[in-house]
Amino acid sequence: MTAAKGSAERTPSAARSPFVYRPTASPEEAARWEPRRILITNVRSIAGRAYPRLIGLRREPSWILFEILLPFLTTSAFVFVYRALQSPPEYIGFVVLGGAMTAFWMNVMWMMAAQLYWEKDQGNLERYFTAPMSMMAILLGMAIGGLLMSTFRAGIVLLVGTIVYGVVFSVDQWFLLLGVFVLFLTALYGLGMMLATLFVLWGREAWHLTQIMAEPVYFVSGLNFPVARLGLFGAAALGTIPLAVGLDAIRQLAFAGSTNTGSFISPEGEALLLVAMTIVFIGLARYLLRIIERLARQDGKLITRTS
Amino acid sequence: MTALAEAGTRWSRQADPESTRRQSIAQVWRGFLTATRLGWQTEANWTNPVVYFLYAVCTPVFATLMLVFMIQVISGGNAPPAYRAYVVIGSGLWSFVVAGIAGLAWAVLDDRERYRMLKYLFVSPNDLLVLLLGRGLARMMVGAMGAIVTLGLGVVVLGLPLDLARIDWPVLVAAMVLGLVSIVALGLILASVAMQTRQDSWHYPEAVSGALFLIVGAVFPLNILPTFAQAFGLISPLTWWLEAVRRALFPDIQSGIGGAGSLYASLAGHDAPSGIEALLALLLTTVVVTLAAVATYRWSEHRAKERGLFDVTTGS
Repeated sequence: MTAAKGSAERTPSAARSPFVYRPTASPEEAARWEPRRILITNVRSIAGRAYPRLIGLRREPSWILFEILLPFLTTSAFVFVYRALQSPPEYIGFVVLGGAMTAFWMNVMWMMAAQLYWEKDQGNLERYFTAPMSMMAILLGMAIGGLLMSTFRAGIVLLVGTIVYGVVFSVDQWFLLLGVFVLFLTALYGLGMMLATLFVLWGREAWHLTQIMAEPVYFVSGLNFPVARLGLFGAAALGTIPLAVGLDAIRQLAFAGSTNTGSFISPEGEALLLVAMTIVFIGLARYLLRIIERLARQDGKLITRTS
Repeated sequence: MTALAEAGTRWSRQADPESTRRQSIAQVWRGFLTATRLGWQTEANWTNPVVYFLYAVCTPVFATLMLVFMIQVISGGNAPPAYRAYVVIGSGLWSFVVAGIAGLAWAVLDDRERYRMLKYLFVSPNDLLVLLLGRGLARMMVGAMGAIVTLGLGVVVLGLPLDLARIDWPVLVAAMVLGLVSIVALGLILASVAMQTRQDSWHYPEAVSGALFLIVGAVFPLNILPTFAQAFGLISPLTWWLEAVRRALFPDIQSGIGGAGSLYASLAGHDAPSGIEALLALLLTTVVVTLAAVATYRWSEHRAKERGLFDVTTGS
């Protein structure tokens, strides 16, 4: 009786999930999915991949100390450098703004770009590739989860920095500022998606590349000063690094009327640049994903845990 | 007590009771050297030496460039050379701190999370502390590359007025030795924390070194900070290390600790510490931090053993 009951509980039932327990006549029919089913599966994959990032915020509260408070002190060090130099007050604001924006860059580098490489290390990547979902859904889930984490961190750095150091923002075009910020995030996380696939291909170098892409990028992106002051290097950064473009545009819009925010391009032009970057980076991410998927199936080594 | 914990006790605490003291020391030394070599290989064998060298010096050089450029932007290109020297020395030497603090903590995380070898290292007939110190030394060597290149660029490219005849070599050597000991001690504390944490601890060393960067007068004098922050700075050995090295390299350089309105001046009754004074304060603070680090580590190791944390992969 008990055995029969247990067996009945394990029996697939249409009432439980039409996607998982759909009775089919043959494996070929089972492999044919209608668009709605593909869409719902991918949406669930996005939510599923974003979930651990969000729930992790609650489960390990030590990150508040190590990922918000202590990095805020690093930002403060640059504020005090400007104070020691008796700089104009806008520069203190540039540092606080830069400190907030680094939260997104760090997140993209460590929790997007390097993430598939970590997943490979932990043995999860193989499962992602065998699961019936798009890898873009996984990357998007990672991006959404990471984005919410980083927004929280950036918001706190901006709020506390503004209050503690008395930063005065002067915004004339709120909608453009919001639009530029959203475009900055899409371009940045698009870059993260692209790098995530590249880092799987590059293997162990990924770890070192992640480390190397902090200080040099901060410098050429003009993290603490207007990027135009770097001349040719600044122009090159504006053409390639979303952090440089987003930071420069937001700086111009958040300190409207300041004579210290001089740039090569207007915020409107930088918004268009961010749109172009979004399209290019996400397009390249899709293309590279197809390549690693092919290599993974062909060689069977790319996605398997090696260390 | 788990089988792993029992094995750890048997091997690490009572390793071969019949061996002589000399054999025990030789074994410790061998373990240390092997760990250093392994650490170096793990760090460097993913590429060729030239690329690795560029990788190692890239971060400290660009961090220094950022600060120097900030000074240039504000001063309109007329920054005082003394302040530039102050910033370059502080920023260059900081790569020792970043590498030293991260080295030990990342050794724990690497071996637990990535290579999953920590439990085997723990039950091997070597003290885990010795192995971690060896791994830490390997990273410290990477930090040394960054520091040397940054200071060299400061002299050659930025024109820092370094006069070899005026360097106070005894103070410099003593300050470097004590400073490096204190950095390793701080790294050991972070390694103890990494042993206990359940999730992502990879950023902790960077976060801690970033926070220390603010309070030790690395790139600006302490007297700009509020008094309570200056007090934290004065009890850190890194503050005295940087001061002693600066004094040894450039005897006339601006003090990072003293100066008008500083907490140091109000406590000591004179404007700035001499090289010897900085050295004595460095010795005292290093002893305190080292003792605290060893005690913290032993407690952490014991707790990790009791709770089976060496065997747990957190998936971070």
